[in-house]
Amino acid sequence: MKYTATLRVNDIAYPVEIEPGRTLLSVIRDDLGLTGTKEGCDDSECGACMVLLDGRPVNSCSYLALQADGRAITTIEGLATDGELHPIQRAMLEAGGVQCGFCTPGMIISATALIARTPRPTDDEIRAGIAGNLCRCTGYQPIVAAISAAAADMAGKQSSAR
Amino acid sequence: MAVVIRADGKEKVTGTGRYAADLTLTGLLHARFKFAEIGHARIRRLDTSKAKALAGVFAVITQADVPDVRYGLFVKDRTLFAKDVVRWEGEVVAAVAALTPEIARRAVELIEVDYEPLPVVTDLEAALEAGVQLVHEGWADYAIDERVLRDGNQASLSSLVKGDADAAMARAAVVVKSRYVADGSSGVPIEPRAIVAEWHGDKVQIWSSTQVPFAARTLVAETLKLPENAIRVSVPFMGGGFGAKCEGHFEPQTAALARAAKRPVKLVFSRREEFLAPDHRREGMIIELETGADKDGTVVARRGRLLTENGAYSNDAPLIAQMALHFLAGPYKVPNINITAQCVYTNTQPSGSIRAPGAPTAAWALEQHLDELSAALGMDPVAFRRKNLLADGDEGPTRQIMDSTHALATLDKAAELIGYGRPLPEGEAIGIACGWWPSFPMSSGIYLKLNADGSPTIITGAQECGTGAVMTLPILAGEVLGLPPEAFSIIYQDTETGPWDGGAGGSQTLFNNGRATIAAAEEIKSQLLKMAEDLLEASRADLELVDGKVQVKGSPSRFVTIASLASTATGDQQLLASGVGVVPPTPASDASGCIGRLGVESFAAPTFGTHAVHVKVDRETGVVRILGVAAVQDSGTIVNQTGAMGQVTGGVVMGIGQALSEGIQVASDARVRNPYLLDYKLQTAADVPPIKVGFIGIAAPDAGPKGSKGLGEPPCIPTPGAIANAIALATGARVRQLPATPHRVWSAVQQETKR
Repeated sequence: MKYTATLRVNDIAYPVEIEPGRTLLSVIRDDLGLTGTKEGCDDSECGACMVLLDGRPVNSCSYLALQADGRAITTIEGLATDGELHPIQRAMLEAGGVQCGFCTPGMIISATALIARTPRPTDDEIRAGIAGNLCRCTGYQPIVAAISAAAADMAGKQSSAR
Repeated sequence: MAVVIRADGKEKVTGTGRYAADLTLTGLLHARFKFAEIGHARIRRLDTSKAKALAGVFAVITQADVPDVRYGLFVKDRTLFAKDVVRWEGEVVAAVAALTPEIARRAVELIEVDYEPLPVVTDLEAALEAGVQLVHEGWADYAIDERVLRDGNQASLSSLVKGDADAAMARAAVVVKSRYVADGSSGVPIEPRAIVAEWHGDKVQIWSSTQVPFAARTLVAETLKLPENAIRVSVPFMGGGFGAKCEGHFEPQTAALARAAKRPVKLVFSRREEFLAPDHRREGMIIELETGADKDGTVVARRGRLLTENGAYSNDAPLIAQMALHFLAGPYKVPNINITAQCVYTNTQPSGSIRAPGAPTAAWALEQHLDELSAALGMDPVAFRRKNLLADGDEGPTRQIMDSTHALATLDKAAELIGYGRPLPEGEAIGIACGWWPSFPMSSGIYLKLNADGSPTIITGAQECGTGAVMTLPILAGEVLGLPPEAFSIIYQDTETGPWDGGAGGSQTLFNNGRATIAAAEEIKSQLLKMAEDLLEASRADLELVDGKVQVKGSPSRFVTIASLASTATGDQQLLASGVGVVPPTPASDASGCIGRLGVESFAAPTFGTHAVHVKVDRETGVVRILGVAAVQDSGTIVNQTGAMGQVTGGVVMGIGQALSEGIQVASDARVRNPYLLDYKLQTAADVPPIKVGFIGIAAPDAGPKGSKGLGEPPCIPTPGAIANAIALATGARVRQLPATPHRVWSAVQQETKR
């Protein structure tokens, strides 16, 4: 038995017809073709599948797609605007926060949520904020530096815009 | 040094880069393996008929459907699918291709196997006893590399012998003996492997998340009996390997499945499968060491015995056991050595290279042993190491004469960065450990071309596994050609387009492929200068390449752009070069007293490192908190500062994991109890502290480009030993098991308290 739903991903509405047991991750990747969101464990342990759901980070491998019906989903593909990298994306590149890149989308999603609720996080707050995202390459240090730099950049832009 | 943005970076941060599991093809089927799920058993009956009858199943294959070929690096002891006997739970018994992953899963459940269970072998010492169950009853009939010394469950025997260790030990003023037991651990790339295979007539295209596309191609050729040019192995973006994706793995089975199904097939491993099935995990070890020293702390002799876990099938584990002997000698002056290494068959996952194979575990034992020795001598651990570390002109374990050896400098700098010697609160301590690792000179090549608009393209067979080694090639070529690194495009990790390459292993990519890149860039430079000589009416000695131009030295207004030279180079000329360069020599050595010599006898362009780790131990719970790390590496010249820093911080955190939380737990039935990230714990960002990184940065002779040495693997080597030493100093109790889990730390503290 399939159910119809509308998944709103990166401000695009996708009508879908899916079995109730399908995870949000599998629908995003296999039905919508957005493969930037990764599967690393299918167990909520690695964070590679993180997306924003109404601004909150969730492991999409452990979230049913139908539960996301009508809600705002943001994946890694939705962060850059008008061809311009998001400040966190740019900072990750400049600080060497990207090696193999497999944890990167989930890491950036977590960082986006962190900065949204804590605009100028301390390094300890950053480390706690990405504790659900495993990285095997970098030892986290350049990622922490990138998120810190991006937060400063974004805060600076916001105050200058005022 | 300017920050270089890696060429693959934008695709990685925007999620547009494709990894193997992201690929899809018209008509794509989904593969799934039937694993043994039992430690050791004879196959009485294998029936795939019900699986084949399931709607949506296109193929079910077993060993009966592929050529009867046994393969293996040193011992040809295994087949693509289980044949008659299964020897570990992750052995592949059959493979299914079906319309959906769900149908494939149901089909696997319909495959019927009747097993006659056989006794399992898991204990390394018991495995070598007389009359014990053999993992391979027919071991004597396998084709072998004749250097491998086998005997029953002994997969290989090697020794490191120098001088007369017995006589020197008898004369030593102080002798310390120690025994250590290390659990195996896993590479755990965050990307579980994926392979896609599609046939075009008699040729097969394979996309695989492998670290070594050329080795994968060789394995497909050997096992499916195909010429190498009928097989194309391409690697999309690759989500980390750490050795776990070295050597060919499941490319042949996936290709055979696609051929049988007459459709393209995709295999994607679950995390559990990624833990259990690859024939690469860091081997468990039992290490016994005995070292004698003079009263002044000068080491005079070492004896030892090493048992390493080969697992059910032999891959590169015998070579790792031989190399581990060098790591049990360590980067120290040891005039008399006698250590043996036996690699032992067990009914567990095959061992194979994981980042710096053999080294971190051997160094974990040796560095603890040396701290025990320095304590017996009444010496400070740093002072003891300062006295015994190798320096220029000293003799290595196989009498290689050391050159450009900066081990001492790494020790001093690490001690300085961590603030060694400062008073610390109760329950805290700083531990020190050193390590070394060779570079691996080998053949490597690239093609370099300038397109008609002058834009340069590097075509290399090298593999980018995340380290950034391939992404660093444009820096080297750009320096020769006067072009910014961002100007280059790179074609890489594809067996059809690039020259043969050893792949992302042995920290060899920049070391060898960088040399090839410089050679090709010099050739293009020479072609450009030849063209510019006539145009600028100047001899090439007076010309230079700067900012995309060839200009006359001292007269920058007399120039011609590389773009305009490239646009004219379409008549009888091509701006096209290949580069290999001269492979640096491996130092002379004398290993004549050693047996089981499988390939590594001296260390070419050896790298050195010292890590100092500040820990805090809770005696009541056994929980160890890492408060600070200083990691100093001598990897010669640093070519890419950002990339190099990332290798060290990543290596240290992998080392912290091995030290404290990462251990494969094998139950008495030979099955792994923790093949999930919930139970096999990687360190998180919140677990680890900031890491102070130092490089010595002195150009090394007979090394890689610009005097660089390997860097990918070395930074994970000293960390576990430094942590173990810090725990012992903080608690007075030594944890002789790896990893030092809270329970093990607590138990060691309890035992010490009872004494």
